[in-house]
Amino acid sequence: MNSNALFSASFYLKVIFAVSLLVLIFISALTYKHSVSLADSTEWVMHTYKTNIQLDQLFSYLKDAETGQRGFIITRDSLFLEPYYTARQNVNNSFIHLKELIASDQQQEHLDTLYELINARFEQLEVSLAILNTIPVNTSLLKTSMYIGKDFMDRIRVHVAKMNALEMSFLEQRQSKYEQKNSITPLFSMLLLLFALSMFIFSYWKINKDLIILKQTNEQLRIHSESMAHAEEIGAFSSWNWNLKTNQLAFSDNQYRLLGSPPQSFEPNFKNFIQFVHPQDQPIVSEGFEHARSTNTYPTADFRVIRLDGAVRHFKTLSRLVPDKFGTNILIGINMDITDQFLNNEALKARNHELEQKNKELASFNHVASHDLQEPLRIVQTYISRLTGKEIEMMTEKGKDYIGRIKVSINRMRILIDALLLFSRTNRIESVFEISDLNLLLENAKQDLAQSIEQKKATITSVQLPKLNVIPFQIQQLFTNLIGNSIKYRKPDEPLVIRINCEKLTGADQHALKLGGKGKYYKISVEDNGIGFEQHYADHIFNLFQRLHHYDEYEGTGIGLAICKKIVENHSGLITAEGRPGQGASFFIYLPA
Amino acid sequence: MHIEPIHILLADDDENDRLIFNDAFEEIKIKTVVNMVKDGIELMQYLQTPGTKIPHLLFLDLNMPRKGGMECLMEIKKLDCFKDLAIAIYSTSASDEDVEETFIRGANVYIKKPSDFEQLKRILTKVITINWQYHTSGLNRDVFLLNL
Repeated sequence: MNSNALFSASFYLKVIFAVSLLVLIFISALTYKHSVSLADSTEWVMHTYKTNIQLDQLFSYLKDAETGQRGFIITRDSLFLEPYYTARQNVNNSFIHLKELIASDQQQEHLDTLYELINARFEQLEVSLAILNTIPVNTSLLKTSMYIGKDFMDRIRVHVAKMNALEMSFLEQRQSKYEQKNSITPLFSMLLLLFALSMFIFSYWKINKDLIILKQTNEQLRIHSESMAHAEEIGAFSSWNWNLKTNQLAFSDNQYRLLGSPPQSFEPNFKNFIQFVHPQDQPIVSEGFEHARSTNTYPTADFRVIRLDGAVRHFKTLSRLVPDKFGTNILIGINMDITDQFLNNEALKARNHELEQKNKELASFNHVASHDLQEPLRIVQTYISRLTGKEIEMMTEKGKDYIGRIKVSINRMRILIDALLLFSRTNRIESVFEISDLNLLLENAKQDLAQSIEQKKATITSVQLPKLNVIPFQIQQLFTNLIGNSIKYRKPDEPLVIRINCEKLTGADQHALKLGGKGKYYKISVEDNGIGFEQHYADHIFNLFQRLHHYDEYEGTGIGLAICKKIVENHSGLITAEGRPGQGASFFIYLPA
Repeated sequence: MHIEPIHILLADDDENDRLIFNDAFEEIKIKTVVNMVKDGIELMQYLQTPGTKIPHLLFLDLNMPRKGGMECLMEIKKLDCFKDLAIAIYSTSASDEDVEETFIRGANVYIKKPSDFEQLKRILTKVITINWQYHTSGLNRDVFLLNL
């Protein structure tokens, strides 16, 4: 798992935690509300019972008053009036209590009616008492008053019963409302709780899983860093990183080893490092350091260090700026011990210098061949031409024969020197490569040989050739030499046919021919129906001055094909030959596309 | 009619070449006066000796000891008194570099020494019969190297 996935995992965990927390808070709030409404409901039940009890008490006080009055009527003893007056007071108290208790408008109205009824009842009781106090007592009037009193009492009883019933109905209403409101709460809370629980379980599982991945990642990291350390030791390089903001530098263990010092044996800073740098190269390193401070890039630098054991080693520093997650610029770099490469390079340079020297010698040989050798030859030729002018008349036949033979030899020598010159010229390095149309170069070569081709009635067929990056005059020379070769070694009794073909080489063929490089190659073949040669001479014929025939059979210098080989080698190509004695020869040129 | 002989000067270090050169002019049926010097130093001394008649045509070998033909060519071209002197480079080799450089330095014609006496005679005849003023005005690299 990469760090990004781990990062998103921790993000998910945070979300899960937050959701669970919210759910728990919600459950707490719900439970609180639920218990509050439960208390509320209990209070209302209490209230109803209190009201009803108060009403019953009120009625019972009334009855007390009535009973007291009745006792007075029978006994005329004022002792019985005592409970009557107490009851009256009690009724009033009870009434005030009820007024406080009753909240609903409907019940309040009922209470008002009850008040009026009770008042009327007490007035009637007063009326009855007043009748009793008149002497003689008007019994019929008392009777009537008592009846009216009873009637009031009945009405009050009914009314109280009504109020009781109403209060009970209120209670029922509230009870059902409460039940309605709170019936789903426990289930809901339970579900939420289960949800939160499952969330916690999931989080636990996830954290566990991430921990395992973290452990694995840590293990991988450990292996990576170990293999990195080994790689540094094997490859003789070290790594460092430099926080440009805090100016903190860290060296890998191998940095110390490369300096011949035990790992982490000194504090990794610039001052300590530069003490190891060769005094002559210290400016290079400190300039690089200053450069990095001002431009955030450390230039690639080569410098020498002196190890603790005194050995001088060549170092190369490469680096790259890598800003971290928080945008801090961190330079990450490596120091390589390139001493071996450096020494090899020095040896190569020396050898190169030697080669250049040799090349110069060759060039002066070229000059010697072109001038100093040609000069005496020319003088000899000129004198011979003088001899063959007037002087020839005075010579014997034998003398004339000798002169003729000298002339032939001198001519061959001239041809040889010219060919040698041509060969050495193909060695020149300063020749310029350019994209050239090989068809055009072939056409030019045919033009060069037009006279011979015409004379020998040779037929040359060719396919479309590609455009390649070549040294034009050399490739033209190559065609000229190969066609010239075919013309020279034609069969005397058969018309000469030269076929030039071209194809792109397959990867397998290219591999078989050991043609390196990444690019493709073209295979150009020049085939003839001439006298051919024995296949075992196929390599031999490309060597300088190597010939398969005597001068009296075929003229030649043994340089033409050597030049061909040189030219193809100049183009990083390959030339091979196939001979079939009496049937013909094929030359194959492989040139990079 | 009296015709003034053509004055010719050859600077060449090779004795054989000088001999053949002289023989060729002896056989050419044109009245010439041929003088010879052996190297560049002698050439410059000869040309700068007071009273010397400036030749019509100078044949200059490039490869000479002490002072080479290229050096002489540069020196002569710097001097105003020799501005009418026609210079023929007369060398064994005709490498592209030599031909190019002598052309740039102001030589009038480039002759590759032939290896046949009859051919030499033909070339020399042609060179001394060229109207140099006319030839120089239309001079280009293609006709500079004399081919016969």
